[in-house]
Amino acid sequence: MMEQTWDIIIVGGGPGGLFAALEAARAGKKVLLLERKREMGVPVRCGEAVGKEDFANYVEMEPRWIGAEINTFIMVLPNGKEVMLKRDLYSGYVLNRDLFEYDVAARAADAGATIKMRSNVVSLIRDAGGNITGVRAMELGREREYYASVIIAADGVESRIARQAGIATALKPQDIEPCVQATVSGVSLPEQALYLYVGTCYAPGGYAWVFPKANNCANIGLGINGKYSDKNNTARLYLDRFLEKHFPQASVQRYTTGGVPVSMNLKTLAKDNLMIVGDAGRMVNPLNGGGITHAISSGKKAGKLAATACDSPNKMKDLFARYEKEIAREFGKNHEHQYRIKDVVYQLKDEDYDRIGDEILKIDVSKRSFLTIFKHVVKHKPEFIIDVVKAYSGI
Amino acid sequence: MIIELGHCDQCGTCISVCPADALMLTENALLIDHEACTECLLCVNICPIAALENK
Ligand SMILES: Cc1cc2nc3c(=O)[nH]c(=O)nc-3n(C[C@H](O)[C@H](O)[C@H](O)COP(=O)(O)OP(=O)(O)OC[C@H]3O[C@@H](n4cnc5c(N)ncnc54)[C@H](O)[C@@H]3O)c2cc1C
Ligand code: SF4
Ligand code: SF4
Repeated sequence: MMEQTWDIIIVGGGPGGLFAALEAARAGKKVLLLERKREMGVPVRCGEAVGKEDFANYVEMEPRWIGAEINTFIMVLPNGKEVMLKRDLYSGYVLNRDLFEYDVAARAADAGATIKMRSNVVSLIRDAGGNITGVRAMELGREREYYASVIIAADGVESRIARQAGIATALKPQDIEPCVQATVSGVSLPEQALYLYVGTCYAPGGYAWVFPKANNCANIGLGINGKYSDKNNTARLYLDRFLEKHFPQASVQRYTTGGVPVSMNLKTLAKDNLMIVGDAGRMVNPLNGGGITHAISSGKKAGKLAATACDSPNKMKDLFARYEKEIAREFGKNHEHQYRIKDVVYQLKDEDYDRIGDEILKIDVSKRSFLTIFKHVVKHKPEFIIDVVKAYSGI
Repeated sequence: MIIELGHCDQCGTCISVCPADALMLTENALLIDHEACTECLLCVNICPIAALENK
């Protein structure tokens, strides 16, 4: 059995883990990132959509990461009508996430981080006093042990590492969206738009998405709420039905499967010398399921603070408390609101969506901002605002 | 007893709901700890591609 010692070990090489590795290595620390998969960035279990400004805030962009540029947002109602929002109200990218992760891993390695693939972390190592000192990994059938001052759990939806540290990370079925996505070719979409299909007829407690990519390709996926999922009503069955009905001409190039946590953020994001980032900390926006930028942001923060903590171990507790506070301030509080709004939104019936949509369609497309839409919806369905106010105030 | 039918995609969704921490991924398979499992069936119901069954 081999033993090795590091300043910081990061479990998981998604956007959260990769940016933690990059920042910690840039701060001059000895960093090891362990990833179970064979190939960085693959498979892409993701719709790959990010807000342009949001993403640019965190990341120095490379042109090859852009799969498509988006300037419009279209909601498709249960009755099939398309509700387009005002142009440029939303602008974003559909990424090539495989290339993005591959390149960020290369940047982290350039900064001095060591990255290991096919290394599956199975447990935490503790000393006689119960302190976490490292991780145990299986690599091609062999057990390896790695030791470090700080461990960063970036293991995504599974979140087993934090669980081993005694943090309750198991999700209730209603707090996860089982998803399936097909990347298809042979679809030409009229707009560079994100299409969201809303309503129980498409995806109960979730939505179906159609995100365009270059060369008439698109990510077409769907997530349902976990409480509606069972063996005979899987996300895959809903997606098959959706494709058959709406994109019968599409050729599927690849399928991926995944789960999106739609709970509130974990309250505990650091314990002893362990920090939690990204999906492992349940940092996804529970209303729209977006989590890439939250993983990046939390990863960067954790990487920096972990590096500082290595220099002054006696300040670790304060630094980690600061990490929890900063995450709560940046998006944790917002996610609590979104979580409550989600409850309201997903109680809407298909007829409600159709009626609200018809109201929005009466507004000229150049005036369809969030505010005018909200005003119209309120006029038409005043009880909706009461629900939203309740959701915001947490009553 | 929960079994994996052979078409698991290693997405980890089932692991995220398991209250007993009875599930774990290896490099290319899903391990089920039958001792720890309480047969609550949450994993069976959540799998996006119905790769699990209670036999
Ligand atoms: C179908 C689907 C569509 C989505 N669409 C979007 C979207 O359009 N926009 C958006 O912003 N977000 C989207 N998301 C959410 C987004 O993918 C996640 O929020 C994001 O990937 C979180 O990054 P992360 O680094 O925290 O975790 P992940 O990207 O999940 O990375 C975790 C990594 O840890 C590795 N790992 C886990 N356990 C171990 C272990 N024990 N040892 C070693 N390695 C381990 C895994 O192999 C994985 O590579 C989607 C998610 C799904 C499932
Ligand atoms: S949810 Fe299904 S596909 Fe995903 S890891 Fe579990 S058994 Fe495999
Ligand atoms: S049946 Fe319940 S306890 Fe058993 S593996 Fe599945 S989720 Fe875990």
